[in-house]
Amino acid sequence: MVVVSNLEEFVSHVETYTINGKFIELGEMLNKSYDLLTSELDNLDSLLESFNLENHSMTILAILYVKLSSIRNIAQPIAVFTQLTDFALNADINQLQHVPETFADLFHLYTKTIIEIRKPESGIYTLERAIAKLQEHPSQLTTLHADFCQLCLLSKNFKPALPILNNDITSISKEGGSTFDTKSFLLYYYYGGMIYTAVKNFERALYFYEIVITTPAMTVSHIMLEAYKKYILVSLLINGKIINVPKHTSQVLGRFIRPLSQAYSDLATAYQTSNYEEVRNCIRRYADTLNRDKNMGLAKQVLASLYKRNIHRLTKTFLTLSLNDVTNRAKLDGVEQVESYILDMIESNKIFATINIKDGMVIFHDDPEKYNNPILLEEIEQQIESCVKIDKEIRSMEETVELNPSYIKKVNIAPDEDLGNQKLSANFAV
Amino acid sequence: MSNQNALEPMQVDMHPEDNDNYEEEQQHVVDNSNLDLEAYANNYSGLARLYRLIFIADHCSSLKVEALKMAIANVMLTYNTALYQSLYRKLVDVTAGSTNILPDVAGGGRVGPDVPPLDQTWIETRNKKAALKLEKLDTDLKNYKSNSIKESIRRGHDDLGDHYLDCGDLNNALKCYSRARDYCTSGKHIVNMCINVIKVSIYLQNWTHVSSYVCKAEQTPDFAEGKDNNNVIFTRLRCAAGIAELACRRYKSAARHFLQASLDHCDFPEILSPNNVAIYGGLCALATYDRNELQKNVILSSSFKLFLELEPQLRDIIFKFHESKYATCLRLLDEIKDNLYLDMYIAPHIHALYSQIRNRALIQYFSPYLSADMRKMAAAFNTSVHNLEDELMHLILEGQIQARIDSHNKILYAKDVDQRSTTFKKSLAMGKQYIRTSHMLILRAAVIKHHIQVRVSRLLSLYVHVQEIIGRVEFLNDEL
Repeated sequence: MVVVSNLEEFVSHVETYTINGKFIELGEMLNKSYDLLTSELDNLDSLLESFNLENHSMTILAILYVKLSSIRNIAQPIAVFTQLTDFALNADINQLQHVPETFADLFHLYTKTIIEIRKPESGIYTLERAIAKLQEHPSQLTTLHADFCQLCLLSKNFKPALPILNNDITSISKEGGSTFDTKSFLLYYYYGGMIYTAVKNFERALYFYEIVITTPAMTVSHIMLEAYKKYILVSLLINGKIINVPKHTSQVLGRFIRPLSQAYSDLATAYQTSNYEEVRNCIRRYADTLNRDKNMGLAKQVLASLYKRNIHRLTKTFLTLSLNDVTNRAKLDGVEQVESYILDMIESNKIFATINIKDGMVIFHDDPEKYNNPILLEEIEQQIESCVKIDKEIRSMEETVELNPSYIKKVNIAPDEDLGNQKLSANFAV
Repeated sequence: MSNQNALEPMQVDMHPEDNDNYEEEQQHVVDNSNLDLEAYANNYSGLARLYRLIFIADHCSSLKVEALKMAIANVMLTYNTALYQSLYRKLVDVTAGSTNILPDVAGGGRVGPDVPPLDQTWIETRNKKAALKLEKLDTDLKNYKSNSIKESIRRGHDDLGDHYLDCGDLNNALKCYSRARDYCTSGKHIVNMCINVIKVSIYLQNWTHVSSYVCKAEQTPDFAEGKDNNNVIFTRLRCAAGIAELACRRYKSAARHFLQASLDHCDFPEILSPNNVAIYGGLCALATYDRNELQKNVILSSSFKLFLELEPQLRDIIFKFHESKYATCLRLLDEIKDNLYLDMYIAPHIHALYSQIRNRALIQYFSPYLSADMRKMAAAFNTSVHNLEDELMHLILEGQIQARIDSHNKILYAKDVDQRSTTFKKSLAMGKQYIRTSHMLILRAAVIKHHIQVRVSRLLSLYVHVQEIIGRVEFLNDEL
């Protein structure tokens, strides 16, 4: 009887707080009742039924958390997953904003659990909803983003991730205490980069990896190290060389991470020579490292891209060239191979050329794009629009900074100090 | 100097002393040279003569012995006993190397037949004398200092510097010359001090020092005002600045400096001769100036014309280049190449300058054409069509020639660039870039605001996590 009365007491407390709208007190109470709920595992389902999502989101959150953390004791885990999905869909935002940490923790736990039972694909939808619930607006980063991307990667289901990844992050949510978890930030961009790499959106992948490696750092993060390796490979795929990292990159990169990724730097050097053999030898030499880092696939793509890059270089310098000469200059193995590569590139609109089989000549053309069709104009219009939008955003950010009292104070002090120094030196001169 | 090199290049086997620890690709060894060493050396004085002779000795096998002997004779006029000893050792090595076919009677590969023995007494007396002189100068300087006569102190420092220079102690010389700075009373003195420092810095090959002191000298008020009276110094400064720029591979500004020198006032034997000015300036200008600049600043320049008269070969080269007779021009260039390799300042840059000149010639050759026959072009440049194709390909890829090659008909077509399309292309790319950097900026602001930073305590957990995910995600391997 004592047990029941404890629960009844719990329920009545919840009711009073909820009716009076004292959500902060409710949160405190819920935190304290973790042990109580854990001891009442069998009654949790019936307890859940006595609450509804509309008014008791916080309480349900607490109960679900307890249920999930003791998942091994529950015979049918699927039931709790459905409850979670339902919760992610319908929970009340106003109540959740008092306990974003617990909400995030609940879904971190959920991610961990479904990875453990090897059903990552089942959680994608739930997490997507949970993120939407937690965000104030679509371009806000939450700690759940990383979990979501991890699920997509593990289930090799990349499409659902793209809408979220395509949103450029402008702000970061505050759940998880005052400082956002760096690990989850790095992981989101690392996983995001991997997803983009997988769907061959290399530009975007490079952008994501770049974010990872330019994150302020005092020491080596292995996420950063792995990201830098992939950054080199993707950079080779797009640009044929390692593009310079921005100036604000942490010194850790140059001092520790670069020496740790020697194999990749060597690969880039080999790539620069445009010599197919050299790149292949380099990949062969570092095969162990590449396999261990799971980057062999990407490295092979890099190797394949060298053919195309070499052919592409030829289009810039030649109007006509015999297939034999193409073979020699692009250092390929045989004429048939060249032909298939060129055909491939023509079809994918990478180059503009025709092959004359009769005398074995390749004739390269200019880019037929004349920049005079409406589709292109619309594209330009859109780009300008987004540029203006971003510009506005930055300007408003600047204004916020300029209005910041501590900033004003700092700026105002500096000239005064200078003045003081001048006076001082003037005194000395006298 | 005769243009024709009558002798066939002699196949001289590499002496063992030739493959010292030099990097072979940088050290070009000239087997045979028609250089008149005596006349050449007379163009210079002091350390410059010594250094140049040593350079020739290191890089020319046929003149090695002669150069070393001459250097030794010269070094005996100074207090530089250390250099004497090292030169002597070199000479012994050379003669031992070249006579080693003979049975070595003396044993131990000692002195060859025509080498005088090491003058031990000379070394001793010289060392003693040098020490005495140093002591005297030192006490003099102390006296001046106690009397605090600025002018005397300055002179004392200068004398001491001169003496150190004579002994070959460059660092101390530099110190003394720089110290004189505090005792300069007039602009002239300052300029003088600068020239001294520049000189030593050139010997030390400290090029940033040279440039900064050239600037300093030029900014001295007296000097800036009375330029007419200071032509000698002006030319010296220009030459020094030119050498410094040359050494830093800034050929264009080096050319500009050299072209400002005037022959009548070119008196700087401690560093270079007027002939050098002509060659350095001429080559740098040829490599970096476009046709108009070349015409205006070199060919029509009355002052530089006089320099070119000293080097008729180079004058011919420049004229032929300007007349677009590239084959002759390039052939002549090849002819003087060996002698240039024996010049200590320009030798390291010969390769770069020559390839720039060649590229410039190619660009200029093609500039008036809409299409050009590559067979004729190859003939004009003494090369095969295939090699020409390669060269052109590099130039096109670097964006130096706007053209495309029709390899089928061996014709080079000028590329008609559609300005409108390129502008569209560029602006689209620029817009994309702008959006990208702006997004990153906004994100970075957020990152900093939230104090996201990789810190030590998190290291372990990061590591574990990455291993875990990498262990499972192997999708990238499936791509191929």
